[in-house]
Amino acid sequence: MMMSGLLKKNVGRAVFRRGLASEVAPAAPKMKTFKIYRWSPDKPAEKPKLQEFQVDLNNCGPMILDALLKIKDEQDATLTLRRSCREGICGSCAMNIGGRNTLACLCKIDPDTSKQTKIYPLPHMYIVKDLVPDLTQFYQQYKSVQPYLQRKSVPEDGKENLQSIADRKKLDGLYECILCACCSTACPSYWWNQEQYLGPAVLMQAYRWLVDSRDQASTMRKEMLQNSMSLYRCHTIMNCTRTCPKGLNPGKAIAEIKKALATD
Amino acid sequence: MAKRISGLQREVLQVYRHCIRAAHRKPLTNQPNFVRYIRTEFSKYRDISRKDFSTIEHLLRVGNRRLKMYSASEVKDIH
Amino acid sequence: MFSKGLFQSQAIRALHSTSKRSLTIPFLSTLPQNPGGVKGDVNDACLPPPSPDRLHGSVPWDVERVSAVALIPLVGSALASGGDVSVVADSILATVLLGHVYVGFQSCIIDYIPTRVYGKNHNYAMYLLTLGSLFAGVGIYKLETEENGLTGVVQKLWTASNHSEEKK
Repeated sequence: MMMSGLLKKNVGRAVFRRGLASEVAPAAPKMKTFKIYRWSPDKPAEKPKLQEFQVDLNNCGPMILDALLKIKDEQDATLTLRRSCREGICGSCAMNIGGRNTLACLCKIDPDTSKQTKIYPLPHMYIVKDLVPDLTQFYQQYKSVQPYLQRKSVPEDGKENLQSIADRKKLDGLYECILCACCSTACPSYWWNQEQYLGPAVLMQAYRWLVDSRDQASTMRKEMLQNSMSLYRCHTIMNCTRTCPKGLNPGKAIAEIKKALATD
Repeated sequence: MAKRISGLQREVLQVYRHCIRAAHRKPLTNQPNFVRYIRTEFSKYRDISRKDFSTIEHLLRVGNRRLKMYSASEVKDIH
Repeated sequence: MFSKGLFQSQAIRALHSTSKRSLTIPFLSTLPQNPGGVKGDVNDACLPPPSPDRLHGSVPWDVERVSAVALIPLVGSALASGGDVSVVADSILATVLLGHVYVGFQSCIIDYIPTRVYGKNHNYAMYLLTLGSLFAGVGIYKLETEENGLTGVVQKLWTASNHSEEKK
């Protein structure tokens, strides 16, 4: 309804423009200030700084990622960031926008031009350049939970591992995770003990394989977490759930693992 | 009396030593190339202040990573 | 204006530009760390987890949850009765509270003084905690046998502060 209204309006405007040759007064530029974290590994002795960029919101897409790409295209080509799908499915453009870890492609630009928007890389990570953090450790941790199906037996018909609808339902809210590392880097426990604590994102994937009815390695998976560091550094701070750009609940998944281990 | 070396300086020297050792595991004819590369890379940041801990720590991380990459046996020569 | 500038200069520090010493406790000796916190090749899985150990895994968490739940009726009944609880109930309250506090401090030490960074200092902190808890245990015993117990102490403090307010 609203969309169609908008469309009509736009079409109407286009027709109007084409129909009359006279110039329509251009809308007043809406200049929004973005402050972006800059640091280059080529000049390691220079301290990181916040650089200001002005973007006219009238000819810019609605999302932060659009503004960043506009800045990169038109103002400073050295601005470095990861991005790929621009629709929140790849998890590349995770960054700290206005104090909240989120995906730049899913975060709307605040239309209030009197306020500046500050953009930092994910907090408490080693920085490769500008907005690009080093996620090596995060991926290593993900690998360490063995995120793949492990079975001793093959199905009798030799085709598929079947699963009931109820069992499949358990995976909802877990499998959607895109591993953008927003939740892990928002977790204070992960800040202090990154090397040993697995972090919410990876623990949620550990749980995803733990509850999968087709997986037969749950004893091994539970034993991997049965130590003071891997799982129990979670103190239910719940920053992970608050910040998740996909609206998932890693905090609950971790609580479920703890429950499974307690009654083990 | 020799000046006492700080922990960070010792780490830098350690990385340098590891690099030179790795260079000596390369084919004999290309060893000078590796040594020259190591020396130029280290001398690039020779005049960094001793108190600039964060930068030195960053460079150490970079150095270690590069050492790991170049010490692979597939790397035969460097220019 | 000045405070804003100061805040920004602090907020801008990311890990790569923060030296190690600003993240560690200044007077404790630390162990050397892996560069970038990464061990092994980029494609390796992170270090294998230590062998499963329930005593360091689920047990402290279970103790914490059970004691937290148990404290609700214990503290509730003590408050409801205005401090007149039996010696048995009072000593159970004090012991469960001590257990809860012990587990809490233990996880603080594991968080902030981990073996990975501080080596032996982690064990020293744990010894200190155990020693303190033993002292507290003896203290509880003395309180229960010679004085009015934990609720008695709280009661006394409560009335003492009320008295001082009345004087004012």
